[in-house]
Order: sequence, then structure tokens, then C-alpha cells
Amino acid sequence: MDTLKEDLKKQIIEQLNLEEITPADIADDVLLFNDSGLGLDSIDALELIVLLEKYHGIQVTNPDEGKEAFKSIDTMAEYIRKRKS
Amino acid sequence: MTYIGAEVIVSPLGETAEENWLALSDDQSGITLVEDVGYNQENIYLSKILSLSGQNRFHQLVVKALSEIQQQIDPQVFGSKKTLVILSSTKGALYSNVTDQFESCVSAIVQQFGLANQPVVISNACISGVLAINTAGNFIREKIYDNVIVVGCDIISDFVLYGFQCLFAISNQPCVPFDTTRNGITLGEGCGAVVVSASKEIFHKQPLQLLTGTSANDANHISGPSRTGEGLFRSVTKTLQMNKVDKGEIDFVSAHGTATVYNDEMEAIAFDRAELSHIPLNSFKGYFGHTLGAAGVIETAASMQMIRNATLLKSKGFAKPGTSKLINVIEKNEVKSLQTILKTASGFGGGNASLMIRNL
Amino acid sequence: MSFITAYCHLTKDTCYVDGEIISKRDIDSEDAWFKQIYKEQEFVYPKFYKMDMLSQAGFLASELIKRAKPGIVTNYGDDEIALIFANKSASAATDQRFINSYEKNGSPSPSLFVYTLPNIVLGEIAILNKWYGENMFAVLPNFVPDFFLNYTQILLSGSSKAALCGWLEILGNEIDAFLFLVEKEASNALQFNHENLMKVAGQKESPIS
Repeated sequence: MDTLKEDLKKQIIEQLNLEEITPADIADDVLLFNDSGLGLDSIDALELIVLLEKYHGIQVTNPDEGKEAFKSIDTMAEYIRKRKS
Repeated sequence: MTYIGAEVIVSPLGETAEENWLALSDDQSGITLVEDVGYNQENIYLSKILSLSGQNRFHQLVVKALSEIQQQIDPQVFGSKKTLVILSSTKGALYSNVTDQFESCVSAIVQQFGLANQPVVISNACISGVLAINTAGNFIREKIYDNVIVVGCDIISDFVLYGFQCLFAISNQPCVPFDTTRNGITLGEGCGAVVVSASKEIFHKQPLQLLTGTSANDANHISGPSRTGEGLFRSVTKTLQMNKVDKGEIDFVSAHGTATVYNDEMEAIAFDRAELSHIPLNSFKGYFGHTLGAAGVIETAASMQMIRNATLLKSKGFAKPGTSKLINVIEKNEVKSLQTILKTASGFGGGNASLMIRNL
Repeated sequence: MSFITAYCHLTKDTCYVDGEIISKRDIDSEDAWFKQIYKEQEFVYPKFYKMDMLSQAGFLASELIKRAKPGIVTNYGDDEIALIFANKSASAATDQRFINSYEKNGSPSPSLFVYTLPNIVLGEIAILNKWYGENMFAVLPNFVPDFFLNYTQILLSGSSKAALCGWLEILGNEIDAFLFLVEKEASNALQFNHENLMKVAGQKESPIS
């Protein structure tokens, strides 16, 4: 199991106050901003930027950069690994 | 007829409408770079009243504006049972006490100015000011009050600055409404005031006519402007219809123009749909910054000064069109007699509001 | 002339529609009180979970009024229902949470900031119902019937045909939410005047046993 991805799921649920959702409900490749996925919106995207700084020490200064990175748990994990390496 | 006059503007550019007008027509802006104020100690462009100090800045500004109004109308008006004060603000004195944003200030002005009626605070995000003036006009039309003094005031605070910072909505340059390089708002603080009355006689100086307008919700998103401009389009259309004014009669549009990418785009779309895109238009945000709950009152007062001084004031900061629908943004000051003007506002919560002022 | 055709009260432990109790808080429940009502009444609107308390209260009370008076959805055009709300503390509870986010929790929270305006609840109700009508949020020292009477009459004499009005005060553990629907035409309904508004507003004080 990829611990970074599992941590991310927990952090997203915590940061976005997602009720009635557990990490197991979030597949690694589910589209976070799609209505058939998690259905997140533009404000949630900004909360994900806060999350990256708070839990991973990564500063995102251009929210457009987030758009690509926040597609799914897979892309978020990839983005974090790239930024940290 | 509903009259509007005795306009007051307290801003970094001056403490009366006339002082502010001199600065505006001289191309001055209240916006300066303030050091270390951001959440991460960034330097931020703000339109801040640097001379105003102390704990009760909100209260001080409201008192300044009301005292100035006192000089401009029949002194009997303040204590009359037929006079109401409406205060328009988003965050009031939140910076000093989060659970007493308005109440203490309101009680103090009731005492100090001998008001007969409990003032009403309108807190409807960035449309508060225009909504407050419309509310005043409605109260006069229905003969519930004879005079309504509308005061719009908001203060720059860490709260509001950090909030807009975390939305990535603060401009890294003095804001440039409708321009292609716009990237966010510049916050401002200040206080505007106008008197709306059924009587022409209470004014020392000739008032103008208020054509009371309407508000309309976008029903789209609590913090994102509509992509179709639906609410603004509806509000403007209804305001024109209700007052039986043809769009050809509008000489000038004082737009909201916050200088965020999406807001200005939304407004351009709405004005295009309303067939108003050829009418000279500006945003005052390049001069005053975005004064939130005060903006509608300050900008209405500044538009009244444009009518009085027969001048189309340029939209400061605008150089190159940056909206998908072309609108007629004023690029340089021009002497022109203005008969009827339209003022609009849009804000969080999906609100949109508009009103018109006519020269007598 | 206009009429009060439905109303809803929410207090810290009871929810009433038209004066009758429809839900009581279960103090042993793990769920917050508003969430209890949401689940019990089988609402399905996931956005509810993202809302602050003011918006949650506005959502619940307005939806319960719609259930009591389904005609509200079909009888009016999309811009004919005005929203006229007021309270005493504006958005102070959420304002405090936003302050905590940057003073104590390391970073200003965008999802809290967007709720730090009292009129956001009007936006939420408008979005849910696709209502493009008039909006007003006022801050008053207490529930002032005349404000609602005057302003509702003003809007109903214009292009609005109904008004959903609300006193929505939530701070600390205190919840005082009272929403009421005013319509220009109705049969067998209470006339919208000072006396009846006070009566209906105070109804929760003497709950039906």
C-alpha cells in the first residue's frame, strides 16, 4: 500500500470536512473534481493548496498549477514526490 | 420624486466629496504599497487611510461622514422621527470585537446624533451599498420615512486581507479593472454617505434624482461570478423597466469592476446582453480600491460628482481590453454633460444590484 | 394584503413547522443537531455538509417550508420570490472559526472565509432553488417585526409575489431561527400584520405538548 496516497485521503477528508466518506471510498484514480467522482469545487481546490503547505510543506503560488496536480489521488501523490525530490 | 444629495466621501483621497473629486480628476489614486501586511508578511497594495489611527477606526469614519452630512442638510433632519439611518457594511468593527461588529457603533451614533429611529445595518457583501440606497429609495416611495441617510463603511483588516489572499484574489499591482493584465482586487477602506429624501428643501446644495433599482441573485455560486451574467443582466433590465428608462438614455455606467478575471468578464457579458456595451463605463476601484460594503455608496457619490462636474472620468489602470465581450471603458477624462447614469454592484452570495441617478 | 402561509422554527433542541414539533434533538447522537434533522428528514443535498451553521439552518428551514407548502415551487416564476433575512450577530460564529484558522491552525481557510458574510445563506437558498429574485440581509439588535412588515410590503408591491423571510441568529450554543413565507394570495391563511407576525414568531415559546 502506498502510504503517501493513504495519508492524502485522510488529509483530504479532514481538511475538506468530508462527511460520510472514508479513505476506502476514494479510489486512487477517481476524478476529485468530477461530479461522478468526489464532486469537489473551486474552493475545495484552494483548501487542497492549504493542505499541501500544512502537511507537506509545499507552497503553491499559482492556483492554476494546482488544477493539473489535483486531478486525482494519483496525480497529487506524483506532484508531491516531484516537488520534494 | 425621490431626491439624492449631500454626498460625502471619506477616503485616502480626501474627507469630502469635493476633495475626492479634485483628486480623481487629477488622476490620483489612494492605492499605495504597504509593507509586511500580508499573511506571510508580503508587501501588499492597499487603499488605506494612513492618517486614521486608534482602535475604533470604523466608528471614527462613520462619525466623520455623518458630521459632514450635518453641514449639508437641514439640521432638523437628524433628530426627526421621519428619518432613518441605514449603515451599509460587510465587516464593521469586526477587527476589534468579532461578536460586536455593528451594535456598539450604531448605539453610539444614535446618542451622538440624536437619532429618533433605530438604524438598520445592511450586510449583503459587496452589493450592500447599492442595496442600501435602493432600500432608502423604497422607504421614501412608500412614505415610510421622509429622509434616509445612507452611510457605507468598511475598514481594511487582517481578517479580510488574509481571506482574499487565501482565495488568491489579491492583485500584485494596483488593481486594473477590465484590463487584460488584471489579476485580482486591491482592498480599500473608506466611508461614503448620501441623503435620500422626499423633499428637495432639506438640501443646502441642489440634489439629484434617485431612480430606485432592484437586486437579483445569480443562483449560481456563493463565491464565483456567474458565467452568463444572469443576475446582473436581470437586475439592470428590471431597473430600467421599472423606471421606464430606455437604455439609449443612459450616459454612463459606473460598473463594479473589481479587477478579478471572472468578475470583470461576467460584467462585460451582462452589459453586452443588456445592450449597454457601447455606453461609456468605468470602475472606481483603481482610485479607491475595493471598499466592499462601502463601495456602492462611495461609487454612487463619486458618480454624482461626475454629473455635477459634467465629466466622464477614466477607468484608472485600464489600458487594453481584457474581456471576451467588448465594452466601452473610458480611457481618458472628457467633458460631457451627463443626464442619467447607471450604477451596478455584484458580490459574494450571488448578489447583484443596480440603481440610476438623474440630473435635475 | 398578504398572508403568512407557512413557517418554521429551529431552536437548540427542537424543530417546528407551522408550530408543530417535527424533530427533537437526540443528545446521545454522534451527529450534530442540524445533521440529525437533515438525516431524519431524508434530505439529499451533499453541499449541506460544506455549509456553515447559518446556511445549514437556512437550508433546513426553507426546505421544510417548501414541504409544508409545495406550491411555492410551482406557483411562482424564478424571480418572484424575494429573500428577506436578518439577524443580530451577522456571521460572527463563522468569522471566529476563520480567525482561528489563521491564528491557531496555521493557515487562513478559504472554505471558511467564503461563509464569513451573513448573506451567503441567501445565495445558498437561491442556488438550490434557482431563484433569481430580490435579496436582503439586515443586521438588527433584535427581531423587529416592522422591518419585515415594511420591507416585505415594499417588495410585494413591486415585482415580487412572495417573500421568504427569516430571522437567523446562531451564536455559541444558542440557535434562534424563524423562517416564514409571505404570499400575496392565499386562502384560510393568517393575514400578514404585526399582531399575527408576533404571534407566529413567539409560537415556539409555548410548544404544543
